[in-house]
Amino acid sequence: MLTLIVLNSYFYLTFLLFSVVWIPLCTLLVVILALFSSRGTTMKRFRRLISWYGLTVIKVLPFPLVRVRYKDYCTNPSPGAHIFVCNHRSASDPFLMACLPYECVQVANDWPFRLPVLGIYARWAGYLSVKEMAFEEFSRRAIALLDQGVSIIAFPEGTRSGSKTMGQFHGSIFRVALEAGYPIVPVCISGNERIPARGSLLLRPGTIRVHKLPALRWEQYKDLKPFVLKNRVRDLLAGELAVMDAGTECEECPVPHPGRAGGDGVTGEQQRAFRA
Amino acid sequence: MVEQHIIDLTNEVFEESFEIEIEKLQPEMNIFNDLGLDSLDIVDLVVALQNKFGVRIRSDERVRNIRTLGDIYQFISALKNEGLSSSDGRGQE
Repeated sequence: MLTLIVLNSYFYLTFLLFSVVWIPLCTLLVVILALFSSRGTTMKRFRRLISWYGLTVIKVLPFPLVRVRYKDYCTNPSPGAHIFVCNHRSASDPFLMACLPYECVQVANDWPFRLPVLGIYARWAGYLSVKEMAFEEFSRRAIALLDQGVSIIAFPEGTRSGSKTMGQFHGSIFRVALEAGYPIVPVCISGNERIPARGSLLLRPGTIRVHKLPALRWEQYKDLKPFVLKNRVRDLLAGELAVMDAGTECEECPVPHPGRAGGDGVTGEQQRAFRA
Repeated sequence: MVEQHIIDLTNEVFEESFEIEIEKLQPEMNIFNDLGLDSLDIVDLVVALQNKFGVRIRSDERVRNIRTLGDIYQFISALKNEGLSSSDGRGQE
């Protein structure tokens, strides 16, 4: 327990110091570069710096207390914007999204926007506060971002489960996907149920696994109703999470688990699941 | 007591609009937690129920209190009865 307290103290101290130095420094850098760049380039730089910040906070600072393993099961990733749909177990999930090598904004409840400093930066980066706007406004802004090449990350459970269970999905992001026609990418996060646990700041030791599954192209889901689509994606996430939570996955397994990569980025099992 | 045809037609709406298996359509099922509907799905549900039963559903206290599938059966039943009694009343005038 003493070791845990020492490692947590070390993490939060370095987190604070890093934030105090990194955030103003990056803000200054972005502001200076903005004088010589277009708005699009400036926003791209800004979001990249946020991503680096997230990566440092979740991968570097808590090491060796917390280890993060990211796997991309899409063998043929397509360029451009995607809609990433993730399960949500812990407050560390938004930081883990920095693993995704895309320019992204996240869909969040209103409370992250009230966080000191980070909330302001989230708003500046164009993060979408889903509770503060009507669906039509949310849809319009999300599609505008996608059309600019910015991917959207959503946690359709709406709130952290705090355990290995997965809540019901809200359909907003799937309605946006059906209207906008961008690929949906399920992203599974496992192992961070207690990193930190809901209602706590204490990081428990463990390995967090992030698995990016193959994209579902619009041609595959365009005929589905929003309710059916959200539950099909939920089933894909649940299937992969069951494997991840059971710890039965084989790192170098030659046979892909259900829902994982196929030749064109979509497995036959995924296609069959969607045709079912 | 809710008439069986109201139950059947309501279940049909859930099967057609949301592709929920008939086995799951039990009166005690919570439409949000068990069946997984959200606020946007409710809009679709209201439209589908209006079309199926030929009634007009307004957002009132009774609608806001609906939680289970059984609540929907009862609500539709009450709505149908109100429609019948109001048309009876007009007939007597």
